[in-house]
Amino acid sequence: MAEATQTDFQPNIVAFLCNWCSYAGADLAGTSRTQYPSNVRVIRVMCSGRVNPMFVVNALQEGADGVLVSGCHPGDCHYMQGNYYARRRFKLMRNFLEYLGIEPERVRMSWVSASEGAKWKEVIEEVVEGVKAVGPMNKFQRRQLNW
Amino acid sequence: MVDVSKLRETAREIISREDVRELIGYRAGTYGFRARPAFVYDPGEVDQLIFNPACVNNLATYITLEEKLPVPRGQEPDLRKVAVMVKGCDSRALVQQMAENAYERDRILVIGIPCTGVVDMDKVQARFPDVLGPGEISLEGDKFVLIFDGRREEIPKEELLADKCKRCRFPTPLVYDVLLDEEVAPFATDDYSDVEALESRSQDEKWAYWEEKFSRCIRCYSCRNVCPMCYCNDCILDRLRPQWIRRSVDISENTAFHIARAYHLAGRCIQCGECQRVCPVEIPLMELNRKLYKDVEELYDFEPGVKVDAPPLLSSYRPDDPEDFIL
Amino acid sequence: MNGKPKIGVYVCHCGTNIAGTVNVEEVRDFAASLPDVVVARNYSYMCSDPGQALITEDIKNYGLNRVVVASCSPRMHEPTFRKTLESGGLNPFYLEMANIREQCSWVHEDPIAATEKAKRLLEAAVVKARNLEALEQKEVDVEPSCLIIGGGIAGIQAALDIADAGFKVYLVEKSPTIGGHMAQLDKTFPTLDCSACILTPKMVDVANHPNIELMTYSQVEEITGYIGNFNVKVRKKARFVDMDKCTGCGDCAEACRLAGRIPNEFDEGIGMRGAIYLPFPQAVPAKYTIDKENCLFLAKGKCGETPKCQEVCQAGAINFEQQDEIVEFKVGTIIVATGYDVFDARKKPEYGYGIYDNVLTALEFERLVNASGPTGGKIVMLERGKKKKKKEEEAEAPKVPKSITFIQCVGSRDKSVGNEYCSRVCCMYTAKLAHLVKDKIPDCEVTIFYMDVRAFGKGFEEFYDRVRREGVRYIRGNPSEIFRRGDKLVVKAEDTLTATPLEHETDMVVLSVGLVPRSDNREIIDILKLSQSSDLFYLEAHPKLRPVDTASDGIFLAGVCQGPKDIPDAVAQAKGAASAAMIPMAKGKVKVEAQTSVVNEETCRGCGFCVELCPFTAIELVEVNRQGWPVKVARVNEALCKGCGACVAACLSGSIQQRSFKDNQLLPQIKVLGVK
Repeated sequence: MAEATQTDFQPNIVAFLCNWCSYAGADLAGTSRTQYPSNVRVIRVMCSGRVNPMFVVNALQEGADGVLVSGCHPGDCHYMQGNYYARRRFKLMRNFLEYLGIEPERVRMSWVSASEGAKWKEVIEEVVEGVKAVGPMNKFQRRQLNW
Repeated sequence: MVDVSKLRETAREIISREDVRELIGYRAGTYGFRARPAFVYDPGEVDQLIFNPACVNNLATYITLEEKLPVPRGQEPDLRKVAVMVKGCDSRALVQQMAENAYERDRILVIGIPCTGVVDMDKVQARFPDVLGPGEISLEGDKFVLIFDGRREEIPKEELLADKCKRCRFPTPLVYDVLLDEEVAPFATDDYSDVEALESRSQDEKWAYWEEKFSRCIRCYSCRNVCPMCYCNDCILDRLRPQWIRRSVDISENTAFHIARAYHLAGRCIQCGECQRVCPVEIPLMELNRKLYKDVEELYDFEPGVKVDAPPLLSSYRPDDPEDFIL
Repeated sequence: MNGKPKIGVYVCHCGTNIAGTVNVEEVRDFAASLPDVVVARNYSYMCSDPGQALITEDIKNYGLNRVVVASCSPRMHEPTFRKTLESGGLNPFYLEMANIREQCSWVHEDPIAATEKAKRLLEAAVVKARNLEALEQKEVDVEPSCLIIGGGIAGIQAALDIADAGFKVYLVEKSPTIGGHMAQLDKTFPTLDCSACILTPKMVDVANHPNIELMTYSQVEEITGYIGNFNVKVRKKARFVDMDKCTGCGDCAEACRLAGRIPNEFDEGIGMRGAIYLPFPQAVPAKYTIDKENCLFLAKGKCGETPKCQEVCQAGAINFEQQDEIVEFKVGTIIVATGYDVFDARKKPEYGYGIYDNVLTALEFERLVNASGPTGGKIVMLERGKKKKKKEEEAEAPKVPKSITFIQCVGSRDKSVGNEYCSRVCCMYTAKLAHLVKDKIPDCEVTIFYMDVRAFGKGFEEFYDRVRREGVRYIRGNPSEIFRRGDKLVVKAEDTLTATPLEHETDMVVLSVGLVPRSDNREIIDILKLSQSSDLFYLEAHPKLRPVDTASDGIFLAGVCQGPKDIPDAVAQAKGAASAAMIPMAKGKVKVEAQTSVVNEETCRGCGFCVELCPFTAIELVEVNRQGWPVKVARVNEALCKGCGACVAACLSGSIQQRSFKDNQLLPQIKVLGVK
């Protein structure tokens, strides 16, 4: 029974992509008609450095089963340093959430360049598989209010 | 141990100075063994000042907490120095505050107290629950001596010592203008065994542990208010638009609050332990802070509150920072 | 416009590109059901003229104040639809796009899943659009002038191009003459044309050009401002010679008591000069300079009765009272062309440079083979450190080496000295120098130790073949040591092609030293806040597509300061940098980023985290009066801000926000996308 639920489970993943590398890489996956799981919903930011680590917490609260932040490879940041800042912030946040009992599979980060459409697909597949393995995130999901 | 008469004499000299507005120190509390902050504006008030192992408060908080009331037209703001008494741990808050441009060095006058350790008032309370009248605590050798109701009790130091002191590597203030006693050599180290023990548990065990702790939180924000590093004039927790964390007291918002609080202190918390001390529902907040402290040290070789000119942890990077977690 | 949002939503079919997978009618109906959406349409090609007309018509008819287009990637058509909004009379930043093609219909085959995702993405766009704000696309004027730092071939070429186009150029050079390293070279590879012959006419052109203000023996001290409006402060060092009076006759140099006693930098210390000197005969400007560290009068306060130079100068140009002069001017653009140093061979002590007289760097050897060099182009054995004999006839005739050995990759491709990169020129200049040896001393045995020969450029491989046919012996192997045996130098190596250890005796060793970042690189980094790549050369904005730009608008790179390159590449890059610099100058105005960060000074606590992290130094702490109290707050210079938003995520109080990516614009998106 539990296993059946695991396989039926379609996780919902919120991804933050930098405009110049990862978003362009995801676009390239599209122009190459690369098929990948539809579980990932993208929010475009100009730089991975813009992504506040609290966005992760917020997304998990809102019901996301996993969060992905993706930026340019080190040294390739359109703004020189944004991805380096992001790397520190998310490393700490990921470790911290793991310490609280939030599976690290839910908090992922990747470097995907504008030319890595194929890598984007691989990243999505890995993230989706990882989140499927740990199941739905319901540890501290927010009550949905309708006012 | 600090000589109280020397402390008072120093305080008298300082508060008599033209360029000093106030002096923040300690005085006896109203009941039990407790001490509380004293705000001295006048040389006549210095005789209330004390220092003993009950002086647990981190007074650095009061420097950034100071409310800047609007200056009436035609008047000048009072920019004279604030003198403050600090233990080793407290002094790191000053260093970190200055590293964050909270104020200039010449705005404060630091009275440094080399510290041999303070008590954990909860442990004292547990041992002597019924002491209401005035009591005194002092440290003699490796024993705390408690004098109350005409009794004198000697308790081995480690039995009453605050946990933070058992890991203290900076007993002597890192910044001071006056040092009230001989420097104290570090008498402890930190092996993070408590953090590591928790780290090694399963995800579900960890969550169960924290869920129980966070569910107790009443969101009084005492931890934030007492923290010498939480001094934004306008905290995101108080803001409605955007509302990062809702005010409802439930496991979702409480968890988010505790993540935000601890994470905002990443690379900034100087381990004074005040948050945990004041928590009315006994959430082990230092276990959160210490996890980040440990990671920051291990991953980035960074220790907050040690150097005034250190770049902020999360506003700096090294190209070879660890990235094993990145896909 | 700031009233209640009235949102128009447009779902594009993109032919069948979207509509083939995504049920566009369903998405449209879903959009229509969302709060604040007053009109929702679907259309075959939103980017077509009729598609765009739908939007402008609806803006008019429905009073739309927000527009959401669900179509292809914003990287594709965001500029298009921004213009549509503008032509409809709406601020272009009231547009939000949902990418339902590249990131939806093209990557998901299942129509149900794709449609579901399209709805989510669209909803996220709608909730963000609700909180969008109008932004102003600001323009700043561009001063039609350019500062070029460095007067080597790259700086010279860039200066001439920009000046020829009619813009003012300030060319600042640290040393007393322009020309740079190229002026020191003898012949150039692979064509063997004489370096000075092709360079000096350009140097003269620089000096004579009406649009170029040449400042030699000068240093940039401070630069503030941003593209279009840089304020530059230059220190013109005192040369103690009145530039207007000096005729360049050279009487002073001959008369100088120290003539021939100070190593001449231009000759890499092989040749000598006096305290007053011209680095080389064709120097530009052809004006003498007194080196104050060595001049007896300036350094010690006494030079005989009266300084000799002053005595002989008929023009009366010597002025010991001269002071450094600070000049300030404004420029619109800056080109950095500061060049390089050659690798310090002392860092490879096993090669004995600095110990054995006849272990030379290739640049020293260039001076030795150069007809205008200290030996008049004769390749002779060196006796360094010996005092020059008073009378020429007393000196024995210098010995001519019978065998010369070159070692390639000294300081390049060598992790042990921290230089992993290839210096790109050494293989070919070594081949060239080998050829010159064969040309001048035909019976001299020439051996080259190499790791690989990289003859990648136009005519390079042919030249390499030619040199080998001339009898130059190439041995593949990286020597481990050089030592002396009798009057010979011995190169110890292994021929890695035959796996034979060997000891090779030779008269002279030339180390083909690589190119390294200048030791004073930091000065310019501090002044201009340039970044360095891992090899410590200056970092370009993009390695492929913006190779002459830097992260700072209006500041460009040319020549080896950006990375090793040969003369044609340096010239090409200089021309590239020149034309890139001329774009904003020709336009006269530049648009600055609109989606910049902005500080709420009421809540800012002035911690400076944002100031510290900004890669563009666009944020500074300023003191403001807050209810009578002086407090520090962050302030963004919008002309410098590039809109990355890294500061926003660092701000603990949410006091700095990036326009179009504010927390209250992104958090609703997270909410919509997070909900299952």
